[in-house]
Amino acid sequence: MEGAVLAVPAIGFNAVYAVLRFANFAVASIATIGAFAGWTANTALGWPIVPSLIAAFAVAGVAGVVADEAALRPLRSSGALTTTIASVALGIILENAVRFVFGNDPRGFDLAVHRDWRGFGLHAGPQQVQDAIAAIVAMAALFCFLAFTRAGKTMRAVADNPMLASLKGIDAVRIGRIANFVGLGLAGFGGMLVALDTQVDPLTGFRVLLSIFAAAVVGGLGSVPGAVMGAFLIGIGEEMSLLVLPATYRGAVGFLAILLMLSFRPAGLLGQRAS
Amino acid sequence: MVITRRTALAVGLAAPFIRFARAADEPLRIGALCPLTGAGGQYGPSMVKVIQAAADEINQAGGIGGRQIAVTVADTQTNPDAGVAGAHKLIDVDRVSAVVGTWASAVTTAVAPLCWEAKVMLFTVSGADSITKLPHQGYIIRTQPNTRLQMTRATQFLIDNKAKRVFALAAQTPFAVDSYTRISEVMKAGGGEAIGQIIYDPKQTSFRSEIDRALGEKPDTLFLNAYAPDLAVLLRELYQAGYDGHRLTPGYAATPTVLSSLQPELTSGLWSFAPSPDLDSPAYATVRKILGTQNPDPYSCQVYDHVNMIALAVAKSGQTTGMAIHDSIRKVSQGSGREVHGATEGMKLLAAGTGVNYSGASGPCDFTPEGDIISCKFRFDEVEGGQPKLLSLS
Repeated sequence: MEGAVLAVPAIGFNAVYAVLRFANFAVASIATIGAFAGWTANTALGWPIVPSLIAAFAVAGVAGVVADEAALRPLRSSGALTTTIASVALGIILENAVRFVFGNDPRGFDLAVHRDWRGFGLHAGPQQVQDAIAAIVAMAALFCFLAFTRAGKTMRAVADNPMLASLKGIDAVRIGRIANFVGLGLAGFGGMLVALDTQVDPLTGFRVLLSIFAAAVVGGLGSVPGAVMGAFLIGIGEEMSLLVLPATYRGAVGFLAILLMLSFRPAGLLGQRAS
Repeated sequence: MVITRRTALAVGLAAPFIRFARAADEPLRIGALCPLTGAGGQYGPSMVKVIQAAADEINQAGGIGGRQIAVTVADTQTNPDAGVAGAHKLIDVDRVSAVVGTWASAVTTAVAPLCWEAKVMLFTVSGADSITKLPHQGYIIRTQPNTRLQMTRATQFLIDNKAKRVFALAAQTPFAVDSYTRISEVMKAGGGEAIGQIIYDPKQTSFRSEIDRALGEKPDTLFLNAYAPDLAVLLRELYQAGYDGHRLTPGYAATPTVLSSLQPELTSGLWSFAPSPDLDSPAYATVRKILGTQNPDPYSCQVYDHVNMIALAVAKSGQTTGMAIHDSIRKVSQGSGREVHGATEGMKLLAAGTGVNYSGASGPCDFTPEGDIISCKFRFDEVEGGQPKLLSLS
């Protein structure tokens, strides 16, 4: 369940990486913005959860594109490392902008709470199952977008071979914007899913940043199916770690996964780009 | 003008005296090092507001013998790294004589050595026992009761409410282990037992696995030694996991916003405990007025006392250095002097040669040689319909 929720922002992270070739760490703050957008739609406007999730996607997507145009695109010619470092700074700025508008207090969605379903010594929460279904629907929608639409196909083309794509007359700037909108929109969608099961506050996205990055690295930077697989492995790994490690070391699972993967298979499970 | 070697020499020789001459009307500099953001972000802004208002109150009444108080604010982000950076700036750049308002124990622990090395007084609201055990040479004063005192009272409350098997879920803090040790001792003496503790990383988004393990031990009471963001998640997941036993949590975690952001069925029956301000004190009434609320949080009350005690200590010694505050703080906070509830009132008495004993918004403000407060009141609440209802205050 954790894995499915984690997979959505991890896919977003990898989609941006695939097209723009840099690790956008502002994804954490964009996820927070999505969570707050969904929360505003849900509590202030009284929207049900599904339209609120769509609002989270749209607002995060737009915020992501605007922030990227303002702060990151001018730096892209200076190289991936510069842009990545700038994205860390951008993330801090966005997080504090959220704090400025909404304050520090944790907030909850207007949502009925339910007891878990139990049986055979296991239990699962209705909310978690709904979150997992929402995550799967979002992933399916992304796969359809990449497989069947023109914009999706051009995005894949740029991801596969930017040189060839530009020779074919594909506008890299426009595709970059689409990738940002879709990728960071998914981050916002994922941020709201995380918040639905927990709460919304300015650190909502930051708390899952390491797990998102670990999922992306384990699955293979730039690989969308890889992000899904990585997210499930990290999600399950973090829960299972409690059997052998004290709970305070749970956060180390992500680091350990990154370390192992970079040592033995730097390209990730499904990644091609080891360089 | 041509600067000759002789004039340069003359200016150079005179420089220390110019500086000294200015020092007489230099303000008393106080650093407010509060958690404006991070897990303590609910408290920092109101603490800063109270610190500034307390300084303004003294300044408007003529300052400390004509000397104004200047407050500089820095954010700890409830994070030791940022706290240390903030403390460096306050001590090295702003040249403060005292730092007030460090909240998280981890931050206070990290900041304290910088303060005592620089002979700057540190006034804190952190509770971990370990803080006053540091080799601080008297440069730490804390107005928050230490973990041992808090846990003794909290566990006694559980015993009075017939708890037999207590399990603790604790955020990773410097007081998590000390807390559990004290709970175990008091439970054992009271005929029950503490059956285990899980210390978790509060940055996680879910604690389901931790909760499963805790509930596997079949506790009748859970002690949720949490901060506000993780408490909200714990309460939700405990409800989802079907737990119906008692829950006790520190008051600083069960903030009004946490209680109002959660569905009432999640918080119903939750017990919270907190060191209580002195509700009858005139200083408490002033803090109420500053914050415009009937129930100011205990930390805002404590920082009000910090500023007033510093002003009195400076008035008593006639000097603004951290060392002067260090030497005279207990001469104005306790002893046989006349009881006062504000610096302005106390400074008049001091000027007339009368001794004072400050008693503030947070309580009597009397300190042990280690810097711990000697006594204070505690309140216990039970949440009903999303609102805390007072059970006892003693």
